[in-house]
Amino acid sequence: MPPFTNIPLSPAELSYLHTSLSQTPPLRPDGRSPTDFRPLVAETDILPSANGSARICFADGTEAVVGVKAEVERSLGLGVEAGDGDVDMDEEDGGGVGLGERGKKSRGRGEWLEVAIEIPGVRDDDALPVFLSAMLSEALLADGGLKERLWINARFHWRLYVDVFLLSSPLSYPLPLLSLTTHLALLSTRLPALISEKDEDPLFNDDWEASLYLYPRASEPAAQTLKPPFTLLVMSVGENIIFDPSREELSVAESVLAISASPSTSISNSNNNNTLNMVALRTIDPPSRLTGSAVPNSITAGGPSLTSAEILALREKDQGQSVWRPPRGGIPRALVSKMIKMVVEKGGVGEEVLAALAGVGT
Amino acid sequence: MPLDSSTYSLAGLRVDGRRWNELRRIHGECSTQSASDGSSYFELGNTKVICTVNGPREGRRAGARDQSNAANIECEINVAGFSGVDRKRRGRTDKRIQEMCHTISSAFTGTVFTHLFPHSTITIVLHVLSQDGSLLAACLNATTLAIIDAGIPMRDYVAACTTGSTASYAANDGEADPLLDLNGLEEQELPFLTLGTSGGDDKVNVLIMETRVQMARLEAMISVGLDGCRQIRSILDGIVRAHGKKVLASKVS
Amino acid sequence: MDIDDLPSGHTNASSTVITPGETVTDDPQWMRGHGTFAPTDSTLICSTLAGTLQKTNKLLSIVPLRARYTPEIGDLVIGRIVEVQSRKWKVDVAAPLLAHLPLSSINLPGGIQRKRTSVDELNIRSYFSEGELIVAEVQSLFQSGAASLHTRSLKYGKLRNGYFLAVSGVGGGSGVVRARRQIFSIQTARGGEVDVILGVNGYIWLAKHVDEKREEVGLNRLEETASSAMYSSQNDEIGVETRQEIARIAGCVRALIEGAVKVEEETVRRAYDAAVELDDFEGGLEIPAQQRGRNIVQVVLNSG
Repeated sequence: MPPFTNIPLSPAELSYLHTSLSQTPPLRPDGRSPTDFRPLVAETDILPSANGSARICFADGTEAVVGVKAEVERSLGLGVEAGDGDVDMDEEDGGGVGLGERGKKSRGRGEWLEVAIEIPGVRDDDALPVFLSAMLSEALLADGGLKERLWINARFHWRLYVDVFLLSSPLSYPLPLLSLTTHLALLSTRLPALISEKDEDPLFNDDWEASLYLYPRASEPAAQTLKPPFTLLVMSVGENIIFDPSREELSVAESVLAISASPSTSISNSNNNNTLNMVALRTIDPPSRLTGSAVPNSITAGGPSLTSAEILALREKDQGQSVWRPPRGGIPRALVSKMIKMVVEKGGVGEEVLAALAGVGT
Repeated sequence: MPLDSSTYSLAGLRVDGRRWNELRRIHGECSTQSASDGSSYFELGNTKVICTVNGPREGRRAGARDQSNAANIECEINVAGFSGVDRKRRGRTDKRIQEMCHTISSAFTGTVFTHLFPHSTITIVLHVLSQDGSLLAACLNATTLAIIDAGIPMRDYVAACTTGSTASYAANDGEADPLLDLNGLEEQELPFLTLGTSGGDDKVNVLIMETRVQMARLEAMISVGLDGCRQIRSILDGIVRAHGKKVLASKVS
Repeated sequence: MDIDDLPSGHTNASSTVITPGETVTDDPQWMRGHGTFAPTDSTLICSTLAGTLQKTNKLLSIVPLRARYTPEIGDLVIGRIVEVQSRKWKVDVAAPLLAHLPLSSINLPGGIQRKRTSVDELNIRSYFSEGELIVAEVQSLFQSGAASLHTRSLKYGKLRNGYFLAVSGVGGGSGVVRARRQIFSIQTARGGEVDVILGVNGYIWLAKHVDEKREEVGLNRLEETASSAMYSSQNDEIGVETRQEIARIAGCVRALIEGAVKVEEETVRRAYDAAVELDDFEGGLEIPAQQRGRNIVQVVLNSG
């Protein structure tokens, strides 16, 4: 049973961890390299009644389940000419949702995607679920491809509900877990195949085998390697960049970033070295700022009693050299760009994660 | 109407092919989550429930509950939006869910030896992944498995199931068969009740009925329910034994 | 299952699983121990837990498969301060209730022996504040089962210079066991000496060994003296090799947990030696990951 989650570690532990992580190369407490991810268990299609589903279980016991359901909804006067719909419908074989080409007016709407997060023990209007769902939906809508897939015809569209369920209480910041599970669930989501034509009331093929993947697989003709994005948590200590931080590593982080990336959709991107596009970036307040300062040897109990002003002055002079002090200041820009590069570059961390996830459930 | 059609009276088979006294497929596992003190996964047909138990541990609201001499059992139920056929987001203040929470905590307050852990709290969290009838019964069974997995002492299993009647209230049919373990379709149309037993064959712990049924049929429903609970208890016992055997086999002295 | 055939003793338990509500026996000669209950007006003894039966002379008890730590007098535990009250601290020791550490049960720095005054109460946070880790011994139990701790010995007190690790599910044979030596040190290959403290409650502390400088004790002053820096949170200088060794031992402990092997001095030492051997065999210093962890557990079992 892990100790109380809202109590930070002791200043001595924090100082030990911080110094270990500041070494070159950083010494992580479980011995991983800076880009090693913890082992996890993942499975897809666990809910037969949902359009798509996935479950991921991290090594520390945190678990999340995501279910994706889609419902047909009437569109409210989008002002899209039926002409656009015609051209795309004829191009596809067997119906399905047309992707459209770049340069055309995008037909999707962001409101068609609804992400709901449930965390046990936390109210729905608390900061954490609201922030996490905003991050996830922002990343999903960023490249525009998802919205297009939800368009059926001028009068109807799919409304996609992504329900994210965290099954254990949040021991560590749950963003990477939820984002990876959402990625897997969306990869396995299928929508029924459209039989009706043009703008009439949508009629779908009852045969589930004929349904199409929301994110097409490589073998399908419409595939442009469109894939849902995923979000990684990256932290820094000094000049070191560390991926997949555990809870104790997060509590000594000097800065924490959440980077969302997805594969580049345009093939002409070969001029730069990246296989992924960064679609969103958010800074996360590192939990290290909530820790308390330590007591240097010069101010231990039993010595001459000092006023609180004198104690503060001593701490400031010490400047965190000998004892733990919550980190101050922001993150240098060079470090931010280095973090982003490590995620999106060819052969970088992002590619590894994508490859690992693609191997699940196929 | 699942049973109005003549199929039932002709062949005695329900919509899913079962007879009146057959349970659906049951599957259960213990210790599915390592981050909590006790956990379980329980399937009753297509109703899938995950339960995690944490405790006994110091209550979060110290001071208010300090006066009790027994452990406090708190229950929380999260129903997923994708659990039904239609996607429906249910808030935590849903009255029906609140009532289920209260039923579960009072059922286990009577069964668990709470006086061994004064001033502490046992927290039960249930996640409903999919519902197809008998939700309260599945929750009670899953909680039993999780509490046993957490090593919290209790008097006996709490085994629960649903029973119903083949004819609706208005049909005034005194000869109607009682049904065991209703699925989602049947629950919508027929009167049913949830029955939970603990500590012996006739010791009823939970009895909840939200629909109306005529008195004459109640006795038959309850006796079928008691039999169903007996079956479920032995199934739960089998799950715990199998899990225990696995744990002991992997342990090395 | 014939109970009389079961060999008596603390370490012997049958391998049959008993489940809650199951009748263990109806023979009135047996006495009820932990994990059993007698239903009202009956001579039956029934189980309340899922576990195995253990017989100690005439006492029957159930050893649960998995249970929370319950404090007993004399246990050496590691705890984290969660609350500071006026004259005591509340400590989390992974038990059903928080343990108490009264102000009168700690050593004052400098070895002063005096009555605690209100000034001490005002400065209580300068001794221990929230989040700090301590190693202490259970002095007594309250009626509710909560433990009362003390640190009145030089080997107890605030922990620093190291790394904390928690093990879950004490009970049933794996996890940390009560042994003769809970505190020991390992002479590591490259990093000097590392202290290992195995708390009975499943909390473990690995730290660099530091020799406490003691003031000269004359024969007249036989009481233990505590250094004046004992409540400092300042870590000493810890080298890179020591940190690596600490991470390696932590990996060994985790591997033992996953392999369901008891965590005690013997097994930890063997696991560490196995890890060093495997590293020498493969060259280079590597911290146990999953497969390596299994290899290490295998070596430990074979040499046991």
